[in-house]
Amino acid sequence: MTFTFTGYRRPDGRIGVRNHVAVLPTSVAVSSIAERIAETAGDGVRATPHQMGTSQPDRAREQTEQVLAGVGKNPNVAAAIVLELGTESIDADAIADEVSKSGIPVETLSVRSVGGTGPAIEQGRETATAFRRDSEDVRREEADASEIVFGVECGGSDATSGIAANPAVGEACDRLIEAGGTACFSETPEFIGAEHILADRCTDEETRERLLNRVDQREAQAELMGVDLRGAQPTPGNQEGGLTTIEEKSLGAIVKGGTTPVEGMVDYAEPLPVGGGLVLMDTPGYDVESVVGKVAGGAQIIAFTTGRGSTTGNPIAPVIKVTGNPRTWDRMASNMDVNASTIVEGDSMSEVGGRVYETMAAVADGRRTAAEHRRLEEFAINELQPNELAAEGIRG
Amino acid sequence: MSRSEPATTSGYRRSDGQIGVRNHVLVLPSVICSHQIADRIADQVGTAVSAPHDHGCAQLGSDNERTERTLANLAANPNVAGSVVVGLGCEEVQSDSLAETIAGNGRPVRELSIQGVGGTDACLERGVEMAEELVEAASQSTQPTDLGDLTVGIVASDLADSTVSTAAPRVAAFVDEVIDAGGRVVAAGNEPMLADPDAALEAVEPAARADAERLLDRNLEEPAKVGRVRRRAEEISFAEATGAWGDHQVQDLLEYGARATHDSGVALVDAPSEFASATTALASAGAGIVIHLTADGVPAGHPVVPVVKVTGDSETAAALPEDIDVDAATDPSGTLRRTVEGIVAGEDSAPERHGLTTFAIDRIGPSM
Amino acid sequence: MKGEVLGDGVGLVLHADDNVATALQDLEAQDPIDGDTTAVESVPFGHKVALEPIADGDEVVKYGEVIGRASGSIAPGEWVHTHNCESTRGRGDLAEEGVAES
Repeated sequence: MTFTFTGYRRPDGRIGVRNHVAVLPTSVAVSSIAERIAETAGDGVRATPHQMGTSQPDRAREQTEQVLAGVGKNPNVAAAIVLELGTESIDADAIADEVSKSGIPVETLSVRSVGGTGPAIEQGRETATAFRRDSEDVRREEADASEIVFGVECGGSDATSGIAANPAVGEACDRLIEAGGTACFSETPEFIGAEHILADRCTDEETRERLLNRVDQREAQAELMGVDLRGAQPTPGNQEGGLTTIEEKSLGAIVKGGTTPVEGMVDYAEPLPVGGGLVLMDTPGYDVESVVGKVAGGAQIIAFTTGRGSTTGNPIAPVIKVTGNPRTWDRMASNMDVNASTIVEGDSMSEVGGRVYETMAAVADGRRTAAEHRRLEEFAINELQPNELAAEGIRG
Repeated sequence: MSRSEPATTSGYRRSDGQIGVRNHVLVLPSVICSHQIADRIADQVGTAVSAPHDHGCAQLGSDNERTERTLANLAANPNVAGSVVVGLGCEEVQSDSLAETIAGNGRPVRELSIQGVGGTDACLERGVEMAEELVEAASQSTQPTDLGDLTVGIVASDLADSTVSTAAPRVAAFVDEVIDAGGRVVAAGNEPMLADPDAALEAVEPAARADAERLLDRNLEEPAKVGRVRRRAEEISFAEATGAWGDHQVQDLLEYGARATHDSGVALVDAPSEFASATTALASAGAGIVIHLTADGVPAGHPVVPVVKVTGDSETAAALPEDIDVDAATDPSGTLRRTVEGIVAGEDSAPERHGLTTFAIDRIGPSM
Repeated sequence: MKGEVLGDGVGLVLHADDNVATALQDLEAQDPIDGDTTAVESVPFGHKVALEPIADGDEVVKYGEVIGRASGSIAPGEWVHTHNCESTRGRGDLAEEGVAES
């Protein structure tokens, strides 16, 4: 069953569900200036402050570039400003060129070229305000579910996540894919123990091999830090909550992607296909970084399941919070969007999953999520660490 | 050099005897998930500052320890009158245990979590109340303060020619004055040590050599976080690369986020020279003010410590006239000391004038 | 059959192939589970209860997938947890054998 919504048609043909002006800093040196520009330019202007340095190792820098360009190209972005100090190893013009491939207006702003922090805030505000005015003329158009790229995340999990919120979101993924859309879930460390199940669902050998390879890499990271991941899983808290084995825990996590075949797997922040069915992304389990990876991949809407009550959002994509814990729904209702805990009261999974799907449709059509109302817009880029690079044989 | 007249009367004495040059209430998120609420609490309370970061969850072993140590010691910085720790509730670095550590250090602290109080609206409201309580409780009485009362942090975020040949000698002269006056210096930037381990070990006091060797072991097999500085450090001598702290022997080597315990002279912190994360390490070590040598003109400040921007690059000083405190190429000698004394007396540093700060913690391993 | 709730909310069967249900409330002995099956002991909220006999060594199935193997015989209505169900994955002992073989 499909749905329709009124979105923002971009020059490259994709459809956005929001119409933001993005301010993208190329390094930590100017992150706070980007935030100030967004604050002073008003609603609709969103900064993506992050902590990546001005001179990262090559591989780490490439990942930062991929994220910044990807976020700029997200269809929810109507125009972008790429902000630099002017001495970073990341080339702001190259990011701007990449972003402008989606056909939207992009400008670069160099703090050194305009005379410092004060003038940069002033000029950034002017440009962002002009972009915002122009963005009001973007063509609004009816689209259907087949154009949605839906990112799925979990964080702050508890015993209810695997039995209520995750299966409910999984049901919504199945419906979206039936309607021709794309759903993406990630968090590779949480595949460990269930990778054989996911591997059996892969539609081709290449995807299967890539999946098993990425799971091995993530597992090796734990060894790098001298920690035995499997020895500690499920955690004592998980066991107390009723999780008996690592397979059970991982199944509870992957059920949020639904039951359809796995059509592909992309790397962190790599572009996700439109109309692509279920596609995995290789991300850490760290929820804020993982959400950012999928938004950089082009997801316009995120669903985020949380038993304990994580309140985080994202500057570019609306984040729908789904909880299966009745106590969390009662206590933190103003930070939650969908109550999946009614499973306990006898609602069927199809009813509850249906509510997630309907919420997705309404959010696509412009309804604000709880995190959007409160302007909770956490942003972080996954940083490739020196010991990770060294483990891959990279020294320079 | 003789001890000069007390320059100002604006230091704040803390219970452990340290003297702060600012009187901040610090709003400290224990995890990324609560950092925006921490920011908003600080925004609503006049003299409060916040330290938003990417950490506190989905990290392994040593990264968790580092995050906790860094945040606890940041709250013990002499510029901090009291702290409000803000958690989400389900993170690894738990806000209540962090608050306990801070209280154990004898510093005023309050604690709350988003899940504990039932959502972000309640957390913001309650957090503002707690921060205001701490502002009211903070002693406003000041006392005579001179260079000898200070712990001064030093970081060079690049080793450009202008930094090495023009900015560093000015900073080194000032470091001499601080140490002569009985003050302490902490320096960040481990790249020169890694570039020339032999020279580095010679520059370290015998008592600290074992720690220096451990630092080298930890870092040598990995690519540098700040490759540009590491490569440059290999091209020039150790003495040139560490010129900002002059020819003082290194008294102590500190882990990232650890507190300095040396009585006088220079201690070195194991932090890469990236400005934001290096300055956090210096603040956690106890620096009350940080001198930042920058040819690039990185303009951001830090929430807890006033940062003095020193450039040796006249082009940078001209390009960023409002963002640089000291142009080492043209300002007369003594400018740096006068600037620091002015800041200690309560004048704004360049970053304090625009008010923008960055806060980052250096990380060891990948996110899980 | 996906996500079938038992009784008036005593348990949840996540997949038609499952031989365990997840308790949606704290269950006590004698509480009805499904059809003729009643709980034979306390099963806390979120924990699993057997829906059919599971022999020692047989697969325990939830979400329609194998989550482990019974380490003793399990009767319908029994609590299924670490005392009678073992992981088939991430076993350090098995992994070491694997290393030795390679």
